[in-house]
Parts: sequence; C-alpha cells; structure tokens
Amino acid sequence: MSLASPHAAQESLTFRIGKNLFDMSEVAGGMAVLLVRVLWRIARANFDWNEFKTNMYKMGVKSTPIVVVTALFVGAIAVIQAAPMVQQYGAYGLLGWGAGFSVLRELGPLLTALMISGRVGANNTAELGTMVVTEQIDALRILAIDPLGFLIAPRLLAIVLTLVIANIYADALALFGAAIASKAMLGVEYGVFLNGLTSGLLNFGDVAHGLIKSAFFGLMMAIASCYFGLAVKGGAPGVGRAVNAGVVASATGIFILDYFVSFIIG
Amino acid sequence: MISFRNIHKSFGPKNVLQGVSFDVHDGEVFFIIGASGVGKSVLIKHLVGLLYPDQGEIWLDGQEISRFDELQMMAVRRKCAMVFQHSTLFDSMTCAQNVALPLRKHKNLKGRSAEHEAIKLLEKVHMEAFADRFPAELGDGMRKRVAIARALTLDPQYILFDEPTTSLDPVNARRVDKLIRELSDTLGVTSIVVSHDLVSIFGIADRIVMLYKGQVRLLGTREEFRNTTDGVVEQFTNGYAEGPMDL
Ligand SMILES: Nc1ncnc2c1ncn2[C@@H]1O[C@H](COP(=O)(O)OP(=O)(O)OP(=O)(O)O)[C@@H](O)[C@H]1O
Ligand SMILES: [Mg+2]
Repeated sequence: MSLASPHAAQESLTFRIGKNLFDMSEVAGGMAVLLVRVLWRIARANFDWNEFKTNMYKMGVKSTPIVVVTALFVGAIAVIQAAPMVQQYGAYGLLGWGAGFSVLRELGPLLTALMISGRVGANNTAELGTMVVTEQIDALRILAIDPLGFLIAPRLLAIVLTLVIANIYADALALFGAAIASKAMLGVEYGVFLNGLTSGLLNFGDVAHGLIKSAFFGLMMAIASCYFGLAVKGGAPGVGRAVNAGVVASATGIFILDYFVSFIIG
Repeated sequence: MISFRNIHKSFGPKNVLQGVSFDVHDGEVFFIIGASGVGKSVLIKHLVGLLYPDQGEIWLDGQEISRFDELQMMAVRRKCAMVFQHSTLFDSMTCAQNVALPLRKHKNLKGRSAEHEAIKLLEKVHMEAFADRFPAELGDGMRKRVAIARALTLDPQYILFDEPTTSLDPVNARRVDKLIRELSDTLGVTSIVVSHDLVSIFGIADRIVMLYKGQVRLLGTREEFRNTTDGVVEQFTNGYAEGPMDL
C-alpha cells in the first residue's frame, strides 16, 4: 500500500515501522542474491572485457581529478584539526604519525568512497535504470546475452578496483597535503613530518587496513548502485528515485561496513 | 512450429490475453493484427521468455517452453530473434557495434571481422552509411532498420517483428517487406509480424490472425480477410472510423 493511499493516515505506527523493516530486509536480501550471482559469474570469468575496459576508464580514470582534490584537502584538514593539540604539547614529531594514522586507516578509504559514490555510483544507477526503462536489458536477454555477466560483473569489478586504486593514491596525496599544511601552518619541516610517518609507529598493516576497507566499500557501492538500477520501474521518475535510493543505500552501507570491518580486522 | 495454446495473461486487474490459441507453421510469414493495446506485443514477448503466461502452453519445435527458466530460454532465444517495437538499440554503442555484439558473443568473431560482418548485415537494410553513428543521432525508422539487422545476426529460424515498418518511409517499408518475404522464401525463416501497416499485411502475409478483446477474432489467409463478413474485422482492415468495433 503506497503512502498516497487514502488509508495511509490510518496505518498504525507499528504497521509502518514493520513495513519499513520488511522493505529494508527485502532490499538487503535482493542485494545479497545479486552479489552471489555476480561473484559466481566473475569466478567463471563470464564477463565482458570490453565493458570492463570501458568502465575502468569511465569510472577509474575519470574520477582522478575529484579524488586528487579531495585527498589533498583531507590531509590538510587532518593537520588543521590536530594543530592546537600539537602546538600545546609541542608534539611536532608526532604530526606525521597522527596524520598518517587517521588518513591511512579511516579518512582515506571513507572519503574516497563517498566521493566516488556520488560520482560513479549515481552514474551507474542512472545508466542501468535507463537501460531497464528503454528495454535495453531485455534486448540483451533476447540476444541470448546474460545481462549480469555482460553488464553487472564488469561494473562490479571496475568499481572495486577503482576504489582500491584510488585509495592508494588518495593516501599518498593526502599525506602530501598534510606535509605541506604542517610546514605552512606549523613550520614543521618535511623531514620531521616524514620521520613521524616512518618511525615505526605506522606499518604496512595500517595501509592494508585501509585497502581492505576500500574493497568492501567498493563492493557495497557496486551492489547497491547496480541493484537499484536494475530494479527501476516506471520511466524517468523511476530512474530518479533509484539514483536517490542507490546513493543513500551506498553511503549508509559504507558507514555500517566501516564500523564492522574496523571492529573485525582491528 | 510455434503453437500458442489457451494463453491467459493479466497485469493486475487488467485481463489482456484471455485464451489465445493458434499455430504458426514453419517458413510462413504470419501477421498478428489488432487494435492498439489488445496485447500483440505482450503475446510475442511470451515466446522468448520476457513474459510468462498466467495459464496456457507455448510449444516451440516440440518443446513446451512457457515454464523454461532463464538459462533454458537462452537456447530458445538463439533460434528465435526479436525486433522490439521501440528498436531498443544499445545507445552506448554505434550501429555497427550494436550489430557486431551478438557476433562477438556467440560466433566468437573478433573486433575487425565482427564489424565487417555487421556492415554486411547493415547493407541488407540499407543502413551501411550510418555504421559509425550512435542510435541517438538517428531517426526512428533508421533505428528500426538497424534493429532488424541486429536480429539477423544469429541466423535465427524464427524472427518476431514488432511493427517493423511503423515510422519507416514507404520506400524503406517496402524494402523491409521484401526482406521479410525473402527470408521466408529463400532461407525458410518463419516470421511473426505484428503490424498496423495495411500495405505490408495485404502485400506479404501468408496468414493473418486478428486479436480482439483478448481472443482470436479471425485466423486466415489474405483472401479470407478480404472476403470476411465479420463486421469487426472489416472495420479494422479497412480502417473505418465508424463500425461495430468496441475499442
Ligand atoms: N509490463 C506491463 N505491466 C503492466 N501492463 C502492461 C505491461 N505490458 C503491457 N501492459 C498492458 O497490456 C496491454 C497490451 O499491451 P501491448 O503492448 O501488448 O499492446 P499492443 O497490442 O502491442 O498495442 P500497440 O499496437 O499500441 O503496440 C496494454 O493495455 C498495456 O497497458
Ligand atoms: Mg505493441
């Protein structure tokens, strides 16, 4: 029953909460099924290389500018926030460690994912949704081409790879931004900053921690954006709603995963 | 041979097909006609697993296919091609790439040779000059012709045409008619053509079925349709504004 129905006002609160929970579990279940089916196709190498390359270019290469700009500023912001504390205790040597720790483990993966979600995820949902309403997905099926193998598997792979790779250079750029901000605002020499970064308090585990998160965020974003794209009903307004739902679900999922992955891999 | 047996299909409260039965023989050019919204597109989509009947059976070459799953349907689709009413070309690809896609996927042709084959197919519908254009740059009638070329790629035994000549100019419409007739006469391809185009219908049909109110109103040859005394069929095939038809 839609909210616009004349009975909407009479639906009890419990009914509406129950209905929302039911809808949410339906979406979560649908995404899980889609994920399994797509991973199965990737495992059997049943996916289209051309589509993969096109999407790698469209999603990965074309996302570079926004990732570069965001990353540089994220590093600088980390330093700005730490500045009063660092000055108060004179802990200039720890600045590199502090920036590195927060960027590598948390800020890098999270902000890269959110930026790319806004760009790549939304675009992906809109494109797939349009293909659904214009019957292009049916046209693929008619040509005996499996849409999950042809369209979805390459996109999933491209999104996960884009995120992991973007995270690697976002980390580097964010630390670069942090070093510049440290020098400009606090007069911390690059050597001191670098020393804090490499003195042994940080190790490869911190980088891996961030990269694992990125891979999970990529999966989340890929599945959410594809699921809502494929589920579009009802023309252009349907595509609009799907893009909306996809972006919200990706972001929510990313934060929830962030919590659990941080917790599990410590 | 294709056989629809007592097909029922509803969308919510709307009963579109209410017991449609007829056979289509091998090699014939078979037309489905009927008023807009009667369920012609819905009916042919059942044959390739885009829709499933609520009740009834569909037989294709001795197999009952209406309960096939997606995987089993893939085999059906390879011998039964379809041209959609709205063409539905992939708009991220050029015309040649659209036609080349099934060749790459199913005939293992690589880039160059797939495109080469694609151009040959585009020549059949006189669209080779537009091979490198994107669908969005073309008119409706041109897109439809590219879609026809794409449907021919897998050498199908059956082709479903959903209004192939609608929005084509008369010259190209007759060329498409000729192509459909030739496919049947020279290669033995069976064509099911949904159409409102009276010139096509009375020009190339072997047999015609008219759907009316969810059921078969008349099934017969061109002659039988010309000589019918059924007022509804007469009104429809002559395009009279007034008559017994209830739309
Ligand atoms: N997916 C669907 N969901 C709900 N209703 C549908 C769906 N597909 C078709 N219909 C309904 O089924 C009826 C028959 O549609 P169909 O497209 O088969 O008509 P048609 O005979 O092909 O008409 P036209 O000549 O205009 O193409 C229409 O009333 C349409 O609204
Ligand atoms: Mg139709």
